[in-house]
Order: sequence, then C-alpha cells, then structure tokens
Amino acid sequence: MTRDPALSVDGLSVDYPLSSGGLFRRARSVTAVSDVSLQIAPGETLGLVGESGSGKTTVGRAILRRVPASAGRISFEGKDITHLRGDALRKLRARMQLILQDPYTSLNPRMTVADIVAEPLLVHGLVASRAEAAREVRGLLDRVGMPADAADRYPHSFSGGQRQRIGIARALALKPSLIVADEPVSALDVSVRAQVVNLMQDLQRELGIAFLFIAHDLAIVRHISHRVAIMYAGRIVEVAPREAIYERPVHPYTEALLSAVPVADPPVQRARRRIIHPGEAVDIADPPSGCRFHPRCPIATERCRDEVPPLEPKAEGHMAACWNRGGVMGLRMKVHS
Amino acid sequence: MNDPLLEIDDLRVDFDTRAGLVQAVRGVSLTLGRGETLGLVGESGSGKSVTAQAVMGLIDVPGRIAGGAVRWNGMPLVGEGVRRRPRRIWGREITMIFQNPMTSLNPLMTVGAQLGEVIHLYLGLRGAAARTRAAELLDAVGISGASRRLDQYPHEFSGGMRQRVMIAMAIASEPRLLIADEPTTALDVTIQAQILELLAGLQEKLGLSIILITHDLGIVAGLCHRVAVMYAGQIVETGTVDDIFARPGHPYTQGLIRSTPRLDAVEDRLVSIDGTPPGLRTPPEGCAFRPRCPAAQAACHAPQRLASHGAGHVACCRAGVDAWDVGAA
Ligand SMILES: Nc1ncnc2c1ncn2[C@@H]1O[C@H](COP(=O)(O)OP(=O)(O)OP(=O)(O)O)[C@@H](O)[C@H]1O
Ligand SMILES: Nc1ncnc2c1ncn2[C@@H]1O[C@H](COP(=O)(O)OP(=O)(O)OP(=O)(O)O)[C@@H](O)[C@H]1O
Ligand code: SF4
Ligand SMILES: [Mg+2]
Ligand SMILES: [Mg+2]
Repeated sequence: MTRDPALSVDGLSVDYPLSSGGLFRRARSVTAVSDVSLQIAPGETLGLVGESGSGKTTVGRAILRRVPASAGRISFEGKDITHLRGDALRKLRARMQLILQDPYTSLNPRMTVADIVAEPLLVHGLVASRAEAAREVRGLLDRVGMPADAADRYPHSFSGGQRQRIGIARALALKPSLIVADEPVSALDVSVRAQVVNLMQDLQRELGIAFLFIAHDLAIVRHISHRVAIMYAGRIVEVAPREAIYERPVHPYTEALLSAVPVADPPVQRARRRIIHPGEAVDIADPPSGCRFHPRCPIATERCRDEVPPLEPKAEGHMAACWNRGGVMGLRMKVHS
Repeated sequence: MNDPLLEIDDLRVDFDTRAGLVQAVRGVSLTLGRGETLGLVGESGSGKSVTAQAVMGLIDVPGRIAGGAVRWNGMPLVGEGVRRRPRRIWGREITMIFQNPMTSLNPLMTVGAQLGEVIHLYLGLRGAAARTRAAELLDAVGISGASRRLDQYPHEFSGGMRQRVMIAMAIASEPRLLIADEPTTALDVTIQAQILELLAGLQEKLGLSIILITHDLGIVAGLCHRVAVMYAGQIVETGTVDDIFARPGHPYTQGLIRSTPRLDAVEDRLVSIDGTPPGLRTPPEGCAFRPRCPAAQAACHAPQRLASHGAGHVACCRAGVDAWDVGAA
C-alpha cells in the first residue's frame, strides 16, 4: 500500500480543563486522550470502541479540529492540519464531516429538510443558485432513500431512522472524504439500525468515503469495519483487522470486552464463558500508573504497574499494548524462517 | 403444570393525550411461572414499559386500564374483578427496577437510609438490625465495603454500582417477581455482564421470577427461558427462547433477529425492515406489521390471532414462511 492514508494521527493527546473547587485555584486539567496514533485509508472504515469515558468522542472531535490537540499531529490527505486556522480550517471542514448519535437534537427543528441539507452547500458557496441547491438536495435525499416530498417537511415529522438519514444526506452534501460517525445508530430502534448501517456501507463502497465509526456495540462494529481499534482509559490498547480482533484478540482488555458481549443465539450464549474482571471504570483524572488496565488485569506483573506498554506489532498488521502478550510477531517469524 | 404466578389476560391500556387517544397496550395476554425468566422485547414505543407499569398498578391519568385483567396467584390484581387495591403485593411481592436508575434513587438521602426505608416498610426491621440487613443486601449485589458504602450518597457511586443499589432495593422485600425494565441499557458491556450474572444468580438462589424488558437479543438469549415479542401494543409471538431464535414464526421476529449483527459471525448484509412502526392513535386494522412485511397478503388486513407454531410456541401470523427470503426473491 503506497497510497497516502486519508487520515493519519500520531501521538495525539487532548487535555480538558478541570474546574477545581479549592481555595487556591490552580488551572488543573485531565488528559482525556493520551498518545493516540491511528491511520485510516481512503474508503476504509476504522471502528473505534471502548467503554464510556475512554475518549472515543474526544478522538473524533480532535480529528475534526473541534477540540485542540495538546500534543501530537493530525494529517489529512497528506497535509498537517493540527494547527490550521481561519479560511484553511473552514475549507478543511468541508472535507471532513460528522454524524452524531442523537437524530433528535442534531437537526434544527425550525428548518425544513431541504434547508438543512442545502445549508452546507450555500455556506461553502458550492451552488450558484437556490434552484441548483434544490436539485442537489433532491439527489442527496434520493441517495439516502428519503422520499422526494421529505424536502418541504420539518424534522419532527420523521422517525429516528429517517432523521439519521437526513443527517447523513447533509453530511454527504460537501462530498467529504472522511466521515466521523459518533454512535450513529445507538439511539435507533433495533429494526431501524440495520437500515442506517446498510446505507453507510453502501455509501462507503460507492463513494469511497473513509469512516471513523465510533460505537459501543461490538457486533455492529464487526459488521461494518475493516479494522478495529480498542480504547481503554484514553489510550489505544489494540488495533487490527476485524477478523484478527474478533478471532485472535491479543490484549487482555479486548478479550474481556468481547467475552462480555452476549451473542444472540441461546445455545451459543449459554455455553460461553465470561471473563469477568473486578473493579470499576478508570477515573481519567487519576489514571493508574503503567498499563492503565493493570488493576483489573488477570496477568499483570510488576512491570505493568511501573511502565507504560507501547503499542507495538504483535502479528501482521496487528498492534497491541501489553507487556505480557507479546512475541507473537517473533514467533511467527521463527516459524516462517 | 402448576398454576401460573402471574397472568395477564387481554390487557388494554389507553392514554388520553391532547393529540387524541393512544392505545398503548392492545390486548396483551401473558403468563409467568414460578422461577421463570420471561424476556419482553420489541421496538421502542411497542408498549413494554406500559405493560410492566400496569402489572405494578402504576397506570395513572392520563392513562387508564381500558380492559382485561392481571391476576396474581389467581387473585385479581388489576382491571376486572379487583375489589380492594391490593397494596401488600406491589413493592413487596412484586418489585420493579425502572429504566432510568438516576431518577429512581433519591440524591439527597444516603444509600443506607434509602435501603433502610424499604427494609423497615416490608421487613419491619429498624436500627442496627435494619443496617445489618442493608449491608447484607449490598454484599449480595456485589458491592464491597458495604458498611462504609451505606453512608454514601448516590452520586458517589458509578453507574453500574447505582444499578446494583437499585437491584438491592428491589430484592430487599424478598419479592417473588422482579420486573427489570432495561436494567443495563445505560451501562458498559463489562458492567452489564456483571449485572446480568447477578440477576441470574439471584434468580437461582431466591427462586425469583423475572420479567426482563430489553432491546438486546443477546441478553435475552443468555438469560431468559421464554420470550414474548411485542409490536404496536400487541404480543405477536411467544415461545421458549430456543424456539424463538431457531424457528421464529412471525415476520417481525424473523426480521428482528436477522437485522441484528452477531458478534461471532460476519454477514454480508443485514436484513433491513423498511418503514417504521405505526402510530398508536389509529392502529391499523388487521396485522399491525403488514405495511412493513414482505410476506403480507390480502388476508393480513383481517385481525390476526395467535396460532400455534409447535409446543408452547404461538405467533400472530399464519404465513408460516421465512418472510425475508420471500422479500429478497
Ligand atoms: N468538555 C469536556 N470537559 C471536561 N472533560 C471532558 C469533556 N468532554 C469529555 N470529557 C472527559 O473526557 C473523557 C473522555 O470523554 P469522551 O466523551 O471522549 O468519552 P467517550 O469514549 O466518547 O465516552 P462515551 O462512550 O460515554 O461517549 C471523560 O472522562 C470525560 O468525562
Ligand atoms: N404517560 C403517557 N402519556 C401518553 N402516552 C404514553 C404515556 N406513557 C406511554 N405512552 C405511550 O404508550 C406507548 C408505549 O410506550 P412504552 O413506554 O410502553 O413503550 P416501550 O415499549 O417501553 O418503549 P421503549 O423501548 O422506548 O422503552 C408509546 O406510544 C408511548 O408514547
Ligand atoms: S501490560 Fe500488563 S497489565 Fe497491561 S494488559 Fe498487559 S499484562 Fe495486563
Ligand atoms: Mg462518546
Ligand atoms: Mg420502555
């Protein structure tokens, strides 16, 4: 693969200010995302999963330049965009779009569907006239499977799945090459989720859009992603092609996560064994030293408490950050030689 | 077979809203045996929570029981045949965990005080005895350091721990039926797994019956003995969990299962059920799923009745086909 990745993130960290209630106020902050690196190829879907508060949304927002990076570098289509400003940033924003979880609050209730979808076209001056905008809007609504008469109606008269389609039509208007989809189907009914998932898969195949697909639902992520990255407490602990993640997980946290997801097949599910780790989610303001998973990890050793394990190759295209699950790469090479 | 613990018989619940009459539950019948876990699944708005609220006697204006009955141990509890409000049942023999744990705990009272209230009310214990019992309950739901935890407020607990506290309160009165309405929806999967394990354990230890309301077919697969599928205020199918997953009889159930991706397999494409559920102000004549159903025929315009699909398995559809293969062809 010599093609430039659509997106390349290197060593990204993001801090949020923390309000301190103390008498001697000091500007404190939490590091919500630490040293995250990832790449997405054109037309590829990278699934990003992890528990609540692990930093998924923050990674997405940093990529879209909606929160500042406190360290690291973000490159988009070969250009460093970490510190773009003004006009250049506005142009960039047209090429990267966001689809949000909540189809109920992400559309302006006082605008017609036509205006909602046309707005980015007009703002970026991509259409010369209202008539041209209307033509574009018709095409976009058709593309996402909305009836033509949807254009003149308001968001409240549509169901959740339809509103999510409207959001997608709007995101597509500027022909982006990257879409960050942050939990795009979590708020939808089970029977409607498949409609939206299928639509996103079609778009990606036909238009070659790269997706960062953020979700809790590991089954949907398996279905839609080419590769999957697992986050834990602000760090990526494993990233690999989807079959490798689901069939041959390396990191103990990934294993625990996968074993906790129930499978919708009674005999299979009854026979599965869960790896239940004690303990609670990490307080990101005061994360554990070394490997952040060590207080819950069944195979943790001394080293895990003291040193941060690097995200390193464990097999072909398979990276993980664990001191005690390694050597897979070395082993393979021995076998092959 | 012994008598069912709970019988819901042709239950109807209406809401008078400004926009008109909403028929939220339209003739639901269900039975639940002792020690049985029943999964109640269906789309958002299909009437799962309202059914549960009706069993708990919680339907209040603008809602009303418009027909049918709920019986507890053969005794009328809700609807037809009820003479006195049987308060000793609700909160004691039948308890419920609500959809949103944050709104069901009092933020201004310590967890110990809230547990203490329930324990006093239903077990008649006070003071040190009540506190000991409260600590035992926290222990039973897997909260360590129970005696210290009793003096903390809900905001000092994580989401998963708050849900455990809710479960502790719900089992404090040693109920025989626990209704859990989406008990893990807001939780991470690792925490969800802990809570489900806890429920399964309690069920075994206490011989509880459980009605588990959920969207998640995986949870149903792992925890339930039987499943009832709701659509537009009606039950469209019930059966054992194995039958429902292996041989779903209703096109909606079939679509639901086939549109859910599996963790342990990759499908090329998910079945997508087009359209949306009908509004309940003017529920359609005949089968409510007809406008979305690939196997719909003229006969589906007439009212449908639950028909047998094998032992202990009924579905409200006579098509008896795999609707989604028909649709693809
Ligand atoms: N604006 C903010 N100010 C301060 N802290 C924040 C802010 N936004 C997020 N955080 C914190 O940063 C961490 C990461 O949050 P983020 O929203 O990225 O997580 P997430 O993985 O998307 O979680 P979820 O699955 O719940 O959406 C959390 O601890 C969160 O509390
Ligand atoms: N207090 C109320 N007033 C008016 N309508 C109501 C009220 N409570 C419920 N409904 C209506 O009753 C119907 C069934 O609602 P219910 O809460 O039982 O659905 P549900 O199956 O539990 O859905 P979800 O999966 O979203 O929780 C819905 O159409 C809802 O709008
Ligand atoms: S580095 Fe150590 S603590 Fe972290 S996952 Fe690996 S073995 Fe467990
Ligand atoms: Mg998020
Ligand atoms: Mg509900």
